[in-house]
Parts: sequence; structure tokens; C-alpha cells
Amino acid sequence: MAGNFWQSSHYQQWVLDKQDLMRERQADLKVITEDEYQKVMIFFSNFIQALGEQLKVRQQVIATATIYFKRFYARNSLKCIDPWLMAPTCIFLASKVEEFGVISNSRLITTCQTVVKNKFPHAFNGDYPYRIQNVLECEFYLLEMMDCCLILYQPYRPLTQFCNDLKPENDLLPLSWRIVNDSLRTDVPLLYPPYLIAIACLHMACVIKQKDVKQWFAELSVDMDKILEISRQILALYEMWKTYDEKKEIAGILSKIPKPKLNPSRPPSTGANNQENNSQNSSASQSTQQTTKH
Amino acid sequence: MSEERVNRYEKIDFLGEGQFATVYKARDTKTDRIVAVKKIKIGTRAEAADGINRTALREIKLLQELEHANIIGLLDVFGQKSNISLVFDFMETDLEIIIKDTNIVLTPPHIKSYVLQTLLGLEYLHAHWILHRDMKPNNLLVNEQGVLKIGDFGLAKFFGSPSRPYSHQVVTRWYRCPELLYGARYYGTGVDIWAVGCILAELLIRVPLFPGDSDLDQLSRIFQVTGTPTTEDWPEMKALPDYIQFKEYPRQPLKDIFIAASEDLLEVLESMLCLDPLRRCTAKEGLQMNYFSNKPPPSCGSQLPQPGSNKIIPKEQERQKAGIKRKQPGDQGVLAKRLLF
Repeated sequence: MAGNFWQSSHYQQWVLDKQDLMRERQADLKVITEDEYQKVMIFFSNFIQALGEQLKVRQQVIATATIYFKRFYARNSLKCIDPWLMAPTCIFLASKVEEFGVISNSRLITTCQTVVKNKFPHAFNGDYPYRIQNVLECEFYLLEMMDCCLILYQPYRPLTQFCNDLKPENDLLPLSWRIVNDSLRTDVPLLYPPYLIAIACLHMACVIKQKDVKQWFAELSVDMDKILEISRQILALYEMWKTYDEKKEIAGILSKIPKPKLNPSRPPSTGANNQENNSQNSSASQSTQQTTKH
Repeated sequence: MSEERVNRYEKIDFLGEGQFATVYKARDTKTDRIVAVKKIKIGTRAEAADGINRTALREIKLLQELEHANIIGLLDVFGQKSNISLVFDFMETDLEIIIKDTNIVLTPPHIKSYVLQTLLGLEYLHAHWILHRDMKPNNLLVNEQGVLKIGDFGLAKFFGSPSRPYSHQVVTRWYRCPELLYGARYYGTGVDIWAVGCILAELLIRVPLFPGDSDLDQLSRIFQVTGTPTTEDWPEMKALPDYIQFKEYPRQPLKDIFIAASEDLLEVLESMLCLDPLRRCTAKEGLQMNYFSNKPPPSCGSQLPQPGSNKIIPKEQERQKAGIKRKQPGDQGVLAKRLLF
């Protein structure tokens, strides 16, 4: 995406503070643990990815949709709008914003039905319940909740530039690109500017491939602590994946989140909620993934 | 979206209706500021099914990222049921109205000011990798202070990102550049610059320079002025999808058409109306040309023609009002078809 990142709404309004993000999340952390919250986010990123692939949109649209999804829930509780509805809405809006074209109504809903049935039967019982009018209404809330900030910057472009600068024969691009894809499953895109994410992923790729590029990194004038923070969060994801079986666990986690009414004909209620219908809040205040491994 | 946002804007007047939207003049009850509220039409059932209108979405996404004195400001967005409204800076008039108003005399400093402001806005847009793709007098809005702002981003688009073909069916025909008329699918900032050249010409002669009534007629009118291009003038022309050979028209010197225009202005015009988009000046280059630093200096604010009434008014009303609006003392009866500079 072109434009000027430093003057963008992404940089000025949507690089969030960790504390703020955690504060907004407290309502959800009363019913699920932080670990489970991340699993929910990973799950719906996967759902968005599956929808996008089925709809044959470009990866750019999928990445944008995933971050729209994260932005919405950064300011709202999961029970405010059902993520099963928010996910296709994010794809629908992102496809228009990225000038990929409008996805036809019937195709969007049919795709949801097919994908849920074929790929996520372990997570969803019964038929996909939402109709296009739900998506159209939800689109408004999404736009409003994001303060109409629609243009996103992704780490892919800076990453490509850095890899070229580092000499292409190092062949770091494919691996670091995949790490960037994985970073979409974490809070990282909400917390750090994309160029830092790109550097962190490149750094991880260098470590994995055992390339000595100390000199190149030493000449960067970036906050290396931030780079390490990003790496830590991505490593925590990999650590979690080692033992996590989504197919087995996800239904149990999702069932803990109170379902919103099918037709949310009211504006989503922001922030705090009073329901404490679950006692699963033992780890609500547990600090984030600190499984540093370097 | 919340009721309070909807009730925040108090309708004052109906301003006009376009293909996609209805525009109202309104008061922002929170700030007491006068604004323009553009209510996007839902349109047909098929369009309603598309969700938030794409044209509106383009305006929202781009204007949210832009801030410049010569770019229209998007102040707010709100929705009601499935209706979306955009709130903009209120602008009194636009260049089309000013050009058509024969009671207004446009002096060289006025023209310099309008072109300067247009180019400054465009330079900013292009520096942000955005093509406007619908530059025309009607989209150059002017407020009471004489500030010109580029408006209507419904066709605007990022350029320079990994290239995908674009539509060539952009820009109102009279302002459409030759490469678009030849069906170019990959193009750049030149499309906006050509249009500014046409607008500059129109400020001088007070009628559109190339009022073509079909795409072919458009090209033929252009070539009657610029001369039919040779491969030397425009090497890549024959590779364009809809290229056809035109009858050989001789080149007409611009100073024969714009008899009253100064040398330095003609130099700008010449460079904006260059047939080969690669040789056409950029906004930045245009701004550095002598015309803008030479005397006379551009008019500022209060010296510019004072618009007296609403920007968009229904046609009949406009005709009635035409006689009384924006009349300046001493200007009566001057028919400014061509001006002597």
C-alpha cells in the first residue's frame, strides 16, 4: 500500500499500547483465559484465511480482513458481535477497500456455509446461521468502530526491501515472509508498526538459517528492544502450537463465550460488561507470553 | 450508529443531487460550523446488496489519510439504518460555476491563484501515490475565503503498487488525456495533469477547450490543436490498446488560441498538454516553472472573485440567481469570453 505511513491513520491511531489493549480485553478475560483468548483469535484468523482462499481473494485482502477483525475486538468484547459474523464481514469490507471488487452476497454466505461445514465442523454445530443483511449491518459497526480508518500497511513491502538490501542471495525472503504470516495470529500487528514487524521476522529468519548479519542489524537505527519484544510474542505462538490441538480444544473454548443475539439491531456496547457467568477468570491477570527463547 | 451523530447535523438547505448522493448544507450543532453533508443514495436493490457504497468507501478511506489546505476535508462519517453520510468542509462554489458566470472577470492573478492551489493539492496527492482521476472544474471547490480544494474522491485510487490494470473509463471526457482515450490500462499522474491543463485553458477562454461529443471526436479535437502526433512526438502511442491512426492535423500554436495569455503561462500549458504522458510535466515540475514565480503574483483570499451563493443549485434556480450572484462592483456587463491580459 502506498501513501505516507508516518502520516497515516494506521501509525497515528492504530499502533496501540499493550496496557490499553489488555484493559479493553478484561471483560472477555473474565470468561476465558488469556491463553484461550489468543486461541480464539487464532481460530478466527484461520477461519478468515479459509474464507478468503475459498473466495479466491488475494492474500492482501485476507491480511487486511484479519487486522480489521483484530481492530474491532481490540475495542469490543467477543460477545458484542459474534465473531462468526464479524469474520465474513471483514472479508467483505476488505475486498472492497483493497479494490478487489464486491463479493456477491449469495457467494459470501454460501462460502461461509461450505467452509463451516467442510473445514470447521469441530467448532460449529449445525448450519451457518447468518444472512447477508446481518453482514451489511455488521459492516457499519465495523467501519464505525475502526473510526473509518481503512487503509492498512503490512510488513510485506518493507520486508521485501530489507531482504533486497541484505543481498538477495541470502534467500531470507520466503522464510521471513512466512513468519510475517504467522505474526497475524498474534497481537503484534496491533502493537507495532509494520516495518518493525518486518525487521523482527527477518531477524528470526536469520537466526533459524544461521546467517550472520550482525553488521546489517547493527547499522539499523531502530529500537532493538521492540524487535525482541515482537520476536518473543511470535516465539510464544510457536511454543503454544507445539502442544495445542485446535480441533480438540476450540469448541470448548468457544462455548464459554456468551452468544450475542442473532440480530444485533443495536449499536455494539463498548467496553465493560457486567456478566460474570463463568468462573474461569483465574488467569485473567496473568501476564503475556514471556516464553523467551533465544 | 448512534442517534446523536445523526442529530448532530441540522439541515439548512438542499444543495444538490448527483448520481450517487444528495448534498445538504448543514450546521454542526456541536461546533456551530457550517458543513456539507453528502448522503449516499442506496440506489437499486442490487447496489444496496453491495453494502457500503464503493464510491463512498473510496472517499472515506483516502480522505481519512489526507490533510492539506487544498484537499477537501472529511470531517465525519455517520450512518442511519443502511444509509451512510459523509460530512465535508462546506464550500461555497466551484470552478465550473465561476467559469460559467459571465459576471465574473478572471484576471491573470486570479487564474494563477486557482491553478497554483490546484497544483499544490495535486502535488500532495501524487506524493501520497494517489491518482484523482476525475479532475474537472466542477470538482475544484472554492470557499468564501477563496481557498480552492480538490473534492470528489469517488474515482481516486492508489497507483504504483504492484501493477494491476486500471480502468481507462475514468475522467470526464472533456478532461480525459490522449493515453486514456487510446485505452491505456497502465497510467500515472499524467492523467490528472492533462486535466489541469484543460482546466487552465478553460479559465482563460471560459469555455471547455476540447468539448468532444464522443471519444473519437475528443481525440480529433485534441489533435486539431496539438497536431496529430508522430512516433517521434509520442513513441509508445502505437502500443496502446485502442490506438488508431488519425488524419494529419497541423499543430496550432497555443498563442494563436490563447491570444491574451502570457508567455510563461503558455509554457505551463504547453507542458501540461504534452501528448506523450512521459514528457508531460509533473505537479512538482509545474509548480517550479517561471509562471508561478513571475509577476503578477497570484491573488490571495479576499482578492478572488467572491462567490455569493450556493455551490450546487438546481438548474432553474441557478438561472434565476445567475443575474444577481457574485456581481462585483465595476464588473457589470463585462462578458468575459476572452480576456485581454
